[in-house]
Parts: sequence; C-alpha cells; structure tokens
Amino acid sequence: MRRFEYFEPATLAEASALLARYGARAQPLAGGTDLLVELKEQLRRADCVVNIKKIPGIAAMSFDPRAGLRIGALVTAREIEISPVTAKYYPSLVQAARELGSIQVRNRATIVGNVCRASPSADTLPPLIADGAVVSIHGGQGTRRVPLEDFFTGPGKTVLKSGELMTEIVVPPPAPRTGKVYIKHGRRKAMELATVGVAVTLELEDEVRIVLGAVAPTPIRAKAAEALLRGREIDPALIERAARAAVEESRPISNVRASAEYRREMVGVLTRRALQRALDAVR
Amino acid sequence: MSDFSVIGESQLRPDMPGKVSGRAQYAGDLSLPGMLHAKTKRSNVAHARIKRIDATRALAYEGVKAVLTHHDVPRVLHYGSPHPRSASVTKDQYILDSKVRYWGESVAVVAAVSEEIAEEALDLIEVEYETLPALLTVDEAFSSSVRIHELRNDNLVVDPVTVRRGDVEKGFKEADLIVEGTYAMGRPTPAYMEPNVCVSQWSEDRLTMWISTQTPFMVRGILAEVLGLPLTKVRVLVDHMGGGFGAKQDLFQTEFLCALLAKKAGRPVRMEFTRKETFLGGRSRHPGTVWLKQGFRKDGTISARQARVTFNSGAYGSHAPGVTAVGTTALTSLYRCDNVLLEGRAVYTNTPIAGAYRGYGVVQTYYALDIQMDEAAEKLGMDPAALKLKNAVREGDLSPSGHPIVGHGLEDCIKRGMEETSWPVTRKSGHGVVRRGRGMGCEMHGSSAYPGIKEQGNATVRMNDDGTAQLFTGTTGLGTGAHTALAQVVAEELGLRFEDVSVVHGDTDVVPWDIGAFASHTTYMGGRAAQMAAAEVKKQLLSIAAEALEASHQDLEIRQGVVRVKGSDRQISVRDAVSPKLGLPTPQLIASATYKPTKSYSFAAHFVEVQVDTETGQIDVLQVVPVHEVGRVIHPVAAAGQIEGGIQQGIGHTLTEDYVIDPQTGRSLNAGFVDYKMPLSLDMPPIRTILLETAPDPGGPFGAKGVGEDPIIAIGPAIANAVYDAIGLRFRHYPITPEDVVSGLRQKRKV
Amino acid sequence: MKKISFTLNGEERHLELEPWRSLLDALRNEAGLTGTKKGCDVGDCGACTVLVDGKPLNSCLMLGVEADGREVVTIEGIEHPLQEKFAQLGGAQCGFCTPGMIVMAKALLDENPNPTEDEIRFGIAGNICRCTGYTRIVEAIEAAAKEMKK
Repeated sequence: MRRFEYFEPATLAEASALLARYGARAQPLAGGTDLLVELKEQLRRADCVVNIKKIPGIAAMSFDPRAGLRIGALVTAREIEISPVTAKYYPSLVQAARELGSIQVRNRATIVGNVCRASPSADTLPPLIADGAVVSIHGGQGTRRVPLEDFFTGPGKTVLKSGELMTEIVVPPPAPRTGKVYIKHGRRKAMELATVGVAVTLELEDEVRIVLGAVAPTPIRAKAAEALLRGREIDPALIERAARAAVEESRPISNVRASAEYRREMVGVLTRRALQRALDAVR
Repeated sequence: MSDFSVIGESQLRPDMPGKVSGRAQYAGDLSLPGMLHAKTKRSNVAHARIKRIDATRALAYEGVKAVLTHHDVPRVLHYGSPHPRSASVTKDQYILDSKVRYWGESVAVVAAVSEEIAEEALDLIEVEYETLPALLTVDEAFSSSVRIHELRNDNLVVDPVTVRRGDVEKGFKEADLIVEGTYAMGRPTPAYMEPNVCVSQWSEDRLTMWISTQTPFMVRGILAEVLGLPLTKVRVLVDHMGGGFGAKQDLFQTEFLCALLAKKAGRPVRMEFTRKETFLGGRSRHPGTVWLKQGFRKDGTISARQARVTFNSGAYGSHAPGVTAVGTTALTSLYRCDNVLLEGRAVYTNTPIAGAYRGYGVVQTYYALDIQMDEAAEKLGMDPAALKLKNAVREGDLSPSGHPIVGHGLEDCIKRGMEETSWPVTRKSGHGVVRRGRGMGCEMHGSSAYPGIKEQGNATVRMNDDGTAQLFTGTTGLGTGAHTALAQVVAEELGLRFEDVSVVHGDTDVVPWDIGAFASHTTYMGGRAAQMAAAEVKKQLLSIAAEALEASHQDLEIRQGVVRVKGSDRQISVRDAVSPKLGLPTPQLIASATYKPTKSYSFAAHFVEVQVDTETGQIDVLQVVPVHEVGRVIHPVAAAGQIEGGIQQGIGHTLTEDYVIDPQTGRSLNAGFVDYKMPLSLDMPPIRTILLETAPDPGGPFGAKGVGEDPIIAIGPAIANAVYDAIGLRFRHYPITPEDVVSGLRQKRKV
Repeated sequence: MKKISFTLNGEERHLELEPWRSLLDALRNEAGLTGTKKGCDVGDCGACTVLVDGKPLNSCLMLGVEADGREVVTIEGIEHPLQEKFAQLGGAQCGFCTPGMIVMAKALLDENPNPTEDEIRFGIAGNICRCTGYTRIVEAIEAAAKEMKK
C-alpha cells in the first residue's frame, strides 16, 4: 500500500471535520474489506485514512417491532448473518449477507460500508431497498435521512457530500404475511460478485417490491414488474409476465463476468424464481 | 501389498509437522539482515519498442538502493526454462529487452528498503513506447507480416511437428464412419497458492539464491551461464514450496533481476510476485485448437486418425516445443489406431506466456480425442465406455514415446469404473429444469520427460553409523509428498523402518544433479535411482551382517531394521551391525546410482455425474469416481491427494477457469482470484478415488509409476461427455460456461 | 509510526508500526511470525487467516495498528487435534494454505463442534486450496471434531 496519514477520531464531529478538510483525498475506514483492496490495487488513492471504529454509538444492531431494525455503521455482515432476529424478520438480507465474500470477510465488512461503496452488484443493496430501508447521514449540518432507494447516483457514486458519514440504516418492521427472497447469480457458490442479484419483498395481495442488482449503474426497482403484481392475486402466468417486465427494465453491461444478453435472461429467470419463492414463503 | 513393510502405507510425511504448525519455511519467509525488497515495473502495451527508459528519478528516491533497465543487464538470449540441450524449450528471452511483447511484461526493477518505497519508485521510472501492431489472436499471428520475434521468418515458435504411422488415406478409405470436428481450448493457469519468490545474496563473488522453483539445478545452470560464473559459485536452495504444477520450472526473469539487483546494491534482495503478477508474469496452459478426424469401422475399431494441433504460445516460446510435441504425439495412442497423421505447431502472439502446466499439451489433445470417441459411439450405436474399452491401448502397443506399453492398465481402469458406477445406467432423459447426466473420459500419461529432455534420475544413499540412512536427491519438493515416497522406497529396499530414513534435498551444493520435479518424474525416475542406490548400500550392509552372523548373503533378509538369518533365530539389528567397534574403522556405507532415460505410462478413467440447470446454464459436478492405474502405490494418501487435486484444477478449467486477455488491447481482464474462478470447497464434489496396481512397470521402484498429471487430463472430457448426456448438447471446447449452455439450449429449441 | 500493544498467541507484544502496514505484514515482519502466509494480499484466498478476539478474518485486510488492545492468534499459537488430522489424513500437501485453513477450521469448530459436511464446506469457502481438491481437508476437520467429542 502507498503511504498515508492516519487518524482515529473519537467522535463523529471529529471524523466529519477530517473528511471535510481532506475532501476527496480522504477515505473513511470501517471494515476495510473494500478500501484496503482498492488501495492495494491502486483503484483508489488515499492520502488520509480515517478509521471510524473508535467512534461510540454506531456499533449497535437492534430490533424493535415498531421501529424496525437499526443497523449501526460498524455492524458487520457476519452479525447480520447469524442474528436470530434478522433470520426471523429479514431473511432476504440474511441471505445476501451469507453470500457476501467469506466468513473471514464478513467478520469485518460492514453493511453500511457495503452500502456506501455503492457497487451496482453489492449484495445487501437489493434486499435493503426492497425492505424500504432509510439511511441516516451525519454531516456538518447535523443528521439527514435519505431513503436508500434514492441514495445511489451511479456506479460507486452516492449522494454523500464531502465530510458526511453514514451512521446507521433503519429497516422498517415487516408487515405480517411477507415473503422476502434474495437470489444472487454467480458462477461459484461463494467468493462471488453477483452477475445478477434479485430481491423480492412481497406482502401478500398488497405491496410488492422487486429490486435488481448488477444490471444497471445502480440497484433499480423493477417498477413496471411491480405494477403488474401489486394488489393482485398472483399466479404463475402473472409471475412470468412480471419477470419479463423486469427483463425489459434492466440495462446490464457486458464484462469479463458475463454478457449483457445473458444477464438480461437471468433477470427473467431469477425474478420468476424469487417471486415464486416469496409467494411460497408467505402461503 | 502386504508383502511390503514400508511402502503401501500412508506414512506420516516428515514435512507435515512443520506445515501444520506454521514452522515450515518457504522462500518468502526468509529474512536476511539488510535485505531489500524488489518490485517490477510492467508494460501497459501489448507490443512496442521502448524508445526511451529513464530510471534516474527512481534511483534518486529516498530508500531506493538499485534500479535496472534493459540498459543495465547482460544482453543474453536464454531459454525461459533452461533444460540443457533440450528440445522442449525455446531460446528467445532476454532478461530485459528494448522491446515489450505482451501487456504486463517487465521493463524495469527497483530494490528499496521497503516494499512501499519500491512501489512508489516504480512511478518515477519514465518509459516512452513506440507501439507496434499487436497480434492478439492466433489468426492474426498467422496472417500478419509483423514478426513478434526476429529469430524466424514467421511467427511460429519452432518448425511444426509431424508424426506419421501407417497410411491415413488408406485408413480413411476403410472407414465405415468418419467423424470430424474442431475443438477449442481456453487459457487456464496453475494459480499455485505461493506466488513466485526468490531471495539473492552475494558473498564475495559467490551467489546464493533461495527460491520457489521446481528446477534448482536449471536455475543454477542458467544463472551461472548468464552471469559468467562457474557452477561452484552459484548455490540454489529450495526448502518448502507452495505448489508449482509445472509452471515453476520456468525462469521468470526475476531470478536474474534479483541476483543482479543484489550485486548492484551490495545487499540481499527479495523479489516476490504479487498475485496479479503470477498471472501477468507467470505461465498459463497453452490455449489452442485441435482439428481431429477419425475413421471408424462398423465394429468400432479405428482405421485412421488425422489431427492438426495449433497452440498459442503467447509472447515467448517457453515450453511450446515440448508441449506441442508431447500433446501432438499423444494422439498416436490412448485408443489404438495404426494409421495416424498428426501435425502440431505453436505460434507467438502478443499475449502472456504459455508454458509448462500439469498435463503438458495432453490435456488439450485428449479433450478432443475422448469427446470425439463419445461422438462416434453415438453414431455407431455403441456405449461410449464400451467403445473406448474396445480401442484401449494395451500390452505391446507402441506408446507415444515409442516404448511398448506394459500391461492392460487402461482396460483395467475402464472396467473397474464401469463396475463401480453401475455403468451403463438406463438414463431417464429428464425434462425438468435441472437435469443429470453421466459421462466418462480416459487418459494416459508418461512418467519422465523423455524424450524431450535427456533426463536421468540420480540418487545417493548413505548409511549412518547408528543404522539410519539418508537419501540425497536432487528432486524438488513441490508439496506432493514425493520425498516421503522416496524415503519409503529406500527404507523398503534397505529393510529399514520408515522413520530411519531421511531425505536431503534442495541444496545444489549437496545433492546430486536432477532435472527437477516435473513430468511426473520424481517417483518413477528419482525413485528408481533411489532404489538402485539403496540396493548397493544393502549389499555392503549384508556383507557386514553376514560376517557378524556367520552366514552368507543369500541366507539373510532385512526387515524393519533387523537382519535375520532365514529360518533361524540368529539376528542382529542394522544399528549394531554398522555401529563403530572399538579400534576398528567405521565402514563407509554409501552408493550412488543413475537411472537412464526410459518411460512408463500410467492410466486413468474418470466417471462423472453432473447436474445442469437448464435455465441458468449452471453446471455442477455431483460426483467423481476416478480410477487410476499407477503400477504400485507407495503412499496411498499422497497418490489419492494428487488425483483429487488434479480433479479440482480439471473441473476448473473445464467449467470456470479462463485467464482472459482483451482481444482489442491485449490487456489482462482477470488477473486475480476475484474473477479467475477456481472451484472452492462448496463447488467441489465428493471424490471416490480408486487406485489399481495391475500394470506395474519394472522400470519404476517396486513397479511404481507417476500419477501427478493423469487426473487433470481425464476429468475434462468426462465432464463434457456427462453434460451431453444431461442436455444433449455437445460442447467441443473448454471452459463450458453457463452462457454456452443457455445459448446452446436456445438454439436447440429453435431447431 | 504508531506504537501498539496487543496479545499475540497469549503473549503481550509491543510493536511500532507504520499505519499502512497490514496486520499480515506486521505479523510476518515486525512480529517475526512467518507461519501466516500471503497468497493474494487482497482477501480472496484466506491464506492469511488469523483470529482476532476469537474471530477469523483476513489479516491482509486489517491494518496492523488496528490490533492495538486486541487478542490475536496465529497458527503458531494453535495446538489442536486438527493439526494431527491434517498431517495424517492428507489435509495438507504443499502446505501453503494450511495455516489459514487450520485457523479457520478451529474457529469453525469453536463455534460449531458438530458440523455437517455442508457446514464445513461453507465454513472454509473463503480458503483456497489448489492441491487437495478439499476432500481430505473436510475429512480431517470431521476427524478432528470426532476426536474432540471423546
């Protein structure tokens, strides 16, 4: 790694000030499983690294049946993976966490970090968006809240301004009779970056949210597909139509992992499977 | 097997305690006082002349102690892999050249007090390239007038290889069925876990190098030659290695550069590849195509075989001659055919270098041959395993090396596999989304690098005066457990306990010369030489014991460290027999042996079950039953381990591994583990290994033959054939990707 | 340079590290423990797995200075039936992935003393082995689990 200045701020205010001062030359460090890789491969430069792990109050994960799930900035993917609470109420998020890297990576990688890195193929994004997550951002002006769906502006790009830090993600409590599924497509069963990711949150005969990952510059809601299903009784024929609508909404690129054509086809297959599984989970 | 007291048992490998405790030393673990760290600057163009390269600013950077560009190194053409006077390799590499021939080739090196500083200094080296047209595909290389090397009038690495037996034209006329196809191979790489590394230290004019290499004597030889030193002034040390798979028998320029930097800086230097560099600067398997045409008689026998093999060598020749010759010649055999016409050639392209990798050209050619046998079986209305059994080479047939085959190993493998897997099974052709299929594939492979390399096995055995013995061997320890097998051979031959034999290896100043550990040579050649040397020492030992026991040689036997007079209770421990006696000189029991070139063949048949998801195209291997005939199993766990590991690599290159080079720019697109996909623990199937000893070769120690390369050859066609069984799609290439399956099924539905 | 104090294999250690030094490099260089290996340096292979406060992680993706105040265990600090089983049953060949593999397997058995084969394979999914095909690694872990039940 190239040499850098290193700070361990003791408060959010200190951290924000450092990030604001150094601007694009500073990088916050939580789990480090993205940052250190990018520094080593020289995909990112950091003249200054700000370790946020000494800041109090951002490490907790808690669940309340009315407020929902609060995921602090330092909560790791592994904590999400093994928590009995998330297993019960947020199974699609658990599935995503389970397939993120390896156990070694998950013991360090934070969910907030996964979100802020904003890779279009990041696993936790589709299920969080499908569950209606909202993020809290701390900055010079205090705290603001942004629906996760509106947080991403492009591959690796977010609405975070200079000096800002995400402090937590709040995921609403699930409605009764909800099925939640995340399916990740990859060539291997672990240590994979999704070539396509589909998350479905389905509240029987009511709301449905379908989120596609890795097939557009950001994760996207397949709104046309959702519209076909919303409030309706869902049968296989309708699922098929919704899956095809989702295909039309996806805009994947071709790269060494997969071609655009294949990815589009997989959107259809996985959306169909995810919808069916979500339905089965609810019935 | 129970006639033996040491071989045939999975003795505890002496290298294991160190490896499971973290105490085992690998070259990269070595730290010397004052040691510097070296980093390499690599080109970002595929083909260019270096108009100007200036390292002045790098040299002036604080912490940098030495820098080398092509201006600073001897301009000597060398073999990338210096097997002496060998027909297998090409002499076309400079340590650093004024030209770059592939994206990622080294152009300069820096040695500094830390890795970080060395890396930062690379940015300060100024290079101006004059780009040349890059030939990135085999077709471009053939059709272009641009020459990648100035040595020849074309872009071929060597003159094409032609192999003829009998009369193919006549053979094709006799045929009732002709099958023809072109088979294409991608680019897998060995991806050993330990990146290439070497450490150099000069003392006066003497060079010591610690290095992860399969060929220490080759490294010593070429370093001495290029640096103008006598062999007595170059010492190469190899302790534990983290894998090599054939690829670490090449030189990577790092060896010279590391030594030259150390000389210039007057301090020891360590040069270690990053994982990315193991791709850029390493060696992959030769991509290529095999056009194959065979004529079959109604009864299934083969009347003619014609093939054209074309390998992509990348920017330098490395092992192209050997891989092409061995891969092409292999097609004379496996399935019997009297009329054969084969052509093989290798061509330069401006892509990363292809070199030696487990299987050495035969992975490619047998992939084509075995799949085509399945194709023919279908057309003939025969079961593929039955067809292959009928045509399997056997006792007396000429092998690819020209030696007669011993025994019926291949037939034994096929028959046993058919039994074990209840083959053939009436397949209920599935119509579900997920479909299963079964397939089988065969192979044979030679132990020893003959005839490409004039190789030999050397060994020295010395008995110590406490009754223990030491084997001095020049073979290297890649990690396969071969040295344990050698110790077992010596112990068995000498009649000692396994614990009483230790193996001295890895120091070119001490051990006998050896070509190195590759070509499945260690157990067969090294082992036979060890057995021969041990036999000599045994004679000497028996003389002493005979005197002590007042018996004659013929009446004595040695087992587990005790010499007994047969049929009596007179005995003496080996220790007592050789231990020093008051007033008498201790006898020096020592012998050396050299085993001259010869070749033997091991055989295998792999039986595989796969599952295909017809919607995603995902292929999963559910089960593998590999049946291997190896002559004699010296260490069952080590032998099975080689087979299972080879299957992992084979599944990888058949389904998911491909080192991709951008066809427009020559840039590497997946030089790392994130996108170079090897099968991991969740992707690997259960493997039920079966070892046969039905065709021992008298040329090997106790009849043993090699096993290291066989598994990676048989698994590929077995999988491809199983996929055909599952979904009725015939793939004639690897890797077979999910996209291939999905688009293939789509095409099929249209028809 | 930053001064850190931490427990390494049960012993109190004091190191002075540059902040950009990974824990892996700090262990191999400043702490002199070369048992932990560098296979890729970017968290893709698991060869550098160590335990930090009992949790297995890739030491290449942690800064050395982050070990301050923590308990770190490397292969050198482990004594476990896994080692004997790996040695006897073919769980190791070239041995380069072995330290990381054993550390991960120990963490797995610490959390789940009775894993199924699937759970074992899931547990070591982040450890690449290029020599064994994983069959005998799984066997060795199963054998160690059995041994520990006695």
